[in-house]
Amino acid sequence: MHDPKGAAAPAASTGRLRRFRFALAAIVPLLVLWYVLTSVTHTISPGRFPSPNDVLQAARQISRGNGYAGGTLAAQVWQSSKLVLMGFAVAVGTGAPLGLLMGWSRRAEALLNPAFLLVRPIPPLAWIPLAILWFGLGDGAKIFVIWFAAFVPALINSYTGVRNIDPTLVAAARVHGASRLQLVTHVLIPGSMPMIFTGLRLSMQASWTTLVAAELVGAIFGLGHVLIVASLDIYPGMILYAMVWVGIMGALMTKALALLERRAIPWRG
Amino acid sequence: MFTNVKRSFRRRDQEVLALDDVSFEVGEKEFVAIVGPSGCGKTTLLRMAAGLDFPTSGSVRVGDREVSGPGPDRAVVFQQFALFPWKTVEENIAFGLRCRGIDADARSRIVASYVELMGLQGYERAYPQQLSGGMQQRVAIARSYALDPDVLLMDEPFGALDAQTRVVMQEELIKLCRVNPRTALFITHSVEEAVYLADRVVVLTRRPGRIREILDIASVRRREGWDTYERIEEVMDLESFVHLRTRIWRLLRERQEDAAPAGIAVKSA
Ligand SMILES: Nc1ncnc2c1ncn2[C@@H]1O[C@H](COP(=O)(O)OP(=O)(O)O)[C@@H](O)[C@H]1O
Ligand SMILES: [Mg+2]
Repeated sequence: MHDPKGAAAPAASTGRLRRFRFALAAIVPLLVLWYVLTSVTHTISPGRFPSPNDVLQAARQISRGNGYAGGTLAAQVWQSSKLVLMGFAVAVGTGAPLGLLMGWSRRAEALLNPAFLLVRPIPPLAWIPLAILWFGLGDGAKIFVIWFAAFVPALINSYTGVRNIDPTLVAAARVHGASRLQLVTHVLIPGSMPMIFTGLRLSMQASWTTLVAAELVGAIFGLGHVLIVASLDIYPGMILYAMVWVGIMGALMTKALALLERRAIPWRG
Repeated sequence: MFTNVKRSFRRRDQEVLALDDVSFEVGEKEFVAIVGPSGCGKTTLLRMAAGLDFPTSGSVRVGDREVSGPGPDRAVVFQQFALFPWKTVEENIAFGLRCRGIDADARSRIVASYVELMGLQGYERAYPQQLSGGMQQRVAIARSYALDPDVLLMDEPFGALDAQTRVVMQEELIKLCRVNPRTALFITHSVEEAVYLADRVVVLTRRPGRIREILDIASVRRREGWDTYERIEEVMDLESFVHLRTRIWRLLRERQEDAAPAGIAVKSA
């Protein structure tokens, strides 16, 4: 009971291996089916859905030379990831502290909640036209829109995190001599950490969704821009390839968050 | 300590009187237990001594100062342990010392001594949720004792433990109090526990809580030599113990039967 790691580690790794096999078992037949339907029986016309070969060709094109839609894959992925990370950072950096503050102080809640309730029902994408007007087609507009989208889950979840802290723990901290600052650093922040991370996950998803949408509407660069150019060029192979990369990057960043979460919340082991 | 304390709560425009005209004193290094039916205001009484709640009228004093908030002279052990889930055993015990700005060296010395005293060796780095209820409450008691408070306030500290663990903890607490006597206010709804542990027992009535009677246990304990017995069941078999227990039961019972509506009496018959 005291040292569960020794016994649990091998079991966990065989579990992971098994999960990996299941995933393969699910994906491989789909890939085969895709190949057969598009390239052998030609049931699906290449104009509607690209064949594996079309996608490979698109992959080759965008990786070399001038790439596609203004840059190589690496440049496009980097552009989108950079904006997502920046927008996410701004949103979380403002949303989470405000949520903590509103959860902790009734006065702050009374002050900020009306503004929050007013802004919240506006879909983040509805800010795009205004953002373009203010910031043009550059990075600023996208970061601004991501901020609106990712801010809300960061704020709500950290707020809920503080509200859900057992009041007895706050009382325990106070009777053992905690100052206001110590209450924040030793109780409020660690106590709401699980919910803060839930908020971060949702914010990350919202950041990607919003960025791609914003790039579709107005951008000169980035994965969303690749998507819209490929659509205008009627280039299904490139559309699918860009979509796959949006998926990969989103999954990678979510995974990075999960790793961070495990380090930040060791007591939930 | 308590003089003419009244406390009422507002609930939906209704005044609910929780405590009415409660006065008693706890002497230096005296162990006083409070028993009473649930909802009679025991927790409220203790919270007022801790400085977490305040009387509607009357006064609560510790030493010769009116209680105006939590203070370093008092520490609380809560029924639900109230350990910080994100801190290890060591960090939990050290919490109050850290808040009071005691340096790391002195802190780890004090923590080590309480780890040993409470039999927590080997669990220093464990998180509370990895421990049994009995172990968790040992940590909570250590956290309070480590502050070296003049007054120890305990709210049904063993109420959440199973019967066997409870007995062990009672025996250990009485040993701890013999080695390291403190002024203690101990709340329980177990009559046996109160008689076994306390120098005096304050019996409260059903809501609104008033003092029914205050019984002197210390003189009986000394006269009958309870402390010469190692085990709780030996003490509980003594005629003097049974006599006191029965008396308190009667005091609690009397009021209950007065108040019980006829319908319930018929059902239980
Ligand atoms: N914060 C509060 N607001 C309203 N009523 C309360 C509050 N705290 C306690 N009470 C009421 O005061 C009475 C005494 O409560 P408590 O001190 O917890 O009793 P006990 O610990 O003896 O079971 C109960 O009837 C409870 O409902
Ligand atoms: Mg209670």
